[in-house]
Amino acid sequence: MNEIIDITLRSIWISGCATLIAFFIGIPLAYILAYRRRAELISSIVESLVGIPTVVLGLFLYFLFSKSGPLGFLNLLYTPQAIIIGEAILVIPLIISTSFRILKNTIYIYGEFAIAIGATKTQKMILILKESYLGLLASFTMAFSRAIGELGIALMIGGNIKDFTRVMTTAIALGVSKGEFELSLLLGCILVIIMIVISVILRIISRGIKY
Amino acid sequence: MSQKRITSILLMIIIFLAILNFIQYINPRKEIIISTSSQSEVRIRVSTTTSLYATGLLDYLAFQFNKLYPNVKIDFIAVGSSAALKIAERGDACIVFSHAPELEEQYIKKGVIDYGRIIAYNYFIIVGPLDDPAGIRNASSAEDAFRKIYEACESGRTFFISRGDNSGTHIKEISIWKKIGIDPHGKSWYRETGTGMDQVLIISNEMKAYTLSDTGTYLQFKKEGRLPNIEELFSNDSSLINIYSIYLVRNCSSDLIPYAIAFIDFIYYNQRDLIGKFGIDKYGVPLFIPAIDKEKELACEWLKIARGY
Repeated sequence: MNEIIDITLRSIWISGCATLIAFFIGIPLAYILAYRRRAELISSIVESLVGIPTVVLGLFLYFLFSKSGPLGFLNLLYTPQAIIIGEAILVIPLIISTSFRILKNTIYIYGEFAIAIGATKTQKMILILKESYLGLLASFTMAFSRAIGELGIALMIGGNIKDFTRVMTTAIALGVSKGEFELSLLLGCILVIIMIVISVILRIISRGIKY
Repeated sequence: MSQKRITSILLMIIIFLAILNFIQYINPRKEIIISTSSQSEVRIRVSTTTSLYATGLLDYLAFQFNKLYPNVKIDFIAVGSSAALKIAERGDACIVFSHAPELEEQYIKKGVIDYGRIIAYNYFIIVGPLDDPAGIRNASSAEDAFRKIYEACESGRTFFISRGDNSGTHIKEISIWKKIGIDPHGKSWYRETGTGMDQVLIISNEMKAYTLSDTGTYLQFKKEGRLPNIEELFSNDSSLINIYSIYLVRNCSSDLIPYAIAFIDFIYYNQRDLIGKFGIDKYGVPLFIPAIDKEKELACEWLKIARGY
């Protein structure tokens, strides 16, 4: 039981960190992209990357982080940090593509209005981010769900090491290969509950912040 | 307004905690150095075959080893035998557990692994449907059993499920087909699944098909009651021997090698007590037989398999 709690907390922190990092990289990129006129090509490329198979990305990062790979000197392979980096890369396209539409829409509605009433560039940015707050939150929740629910990266570059890089999805996979289906099912239920609870909490917080 | 303030403070706290935790992850060793105080923590990475890890044996061995060396953490990465050796070749593991002598021989020749020790063995078993349509229960040898399965499959009475993933078990299966001069690839009854032993057992249970399995995974699944439609039909043939070896990876960093050798020697010299008794309380029989009493015979068997005699 202790181990389940441990794995659950580790999962939340790893995916939470990954999503936060991806969020702070993705939102500025989406904002820049929303202001560009011919962004359709880039945005369609980014949109197509949303569904990249995690095991492909995991394999790619494995070659990157491996001892005989270009970033081997960092000693990142089979550590939680490696999973965080991998999951962050995984969800950045998701964050960009979902928030890009929302930001573009808000800019269309409020962009010129803000300039007309004499807002500075930063004031305008704050206004736009504030107005698209709910949409950005939804993209955060989606990204977190994708990060906590992915298996390929955690398995390939995390290694499913006990008490170190074992997260919920890899523990579920191991449980299946051990024939302990009930344990896997329990972990799966916890995983879904966490996704829902986090989403609801974020929604409640957002309600408080908006007005 | 006040509600807004409270929620934003809450949000700030969550972000702060997340960042704090990330910093902790960046220096994971720091804390432990303080707690064990005397020696700094060492992490030895071990790539292993899944069948060995899933039985829980390796975690048990690491637990016993930690009683002697509390500062050495053993990290197991469970993959197939061929992937385990590949990971070793790329320098990402210090020790390899494997049960595929043909592959091990190749990597020894390449100079990737060294200091090999046979630590345990058991037998592969042929499992199949309870009514045994191929009649292998009284087969004279593994080759005979496979020939019977082939005939039954050709006449459309049953299927054969293959691992198809280059694992130790898969390589064994291929070598038996080769010995009796039959190439099953492409036949409609020969299903290559490309999955682990667990999935293959479940699939053959669903399809009431034959397959080759290692003892550990089979016993575990049988005991959990997952395999009502299939059972062990043929075993204990010397040609179905399954030899588990442990190797040191040569390009392991030099400050880790003494600890890696300590772990290998610890397992090697304590086989009887640790491996020989593992699983008796749960399954009634030991999952693995220690190799130390039959070392020379096993070395001969290993060579036979590796060189394909």
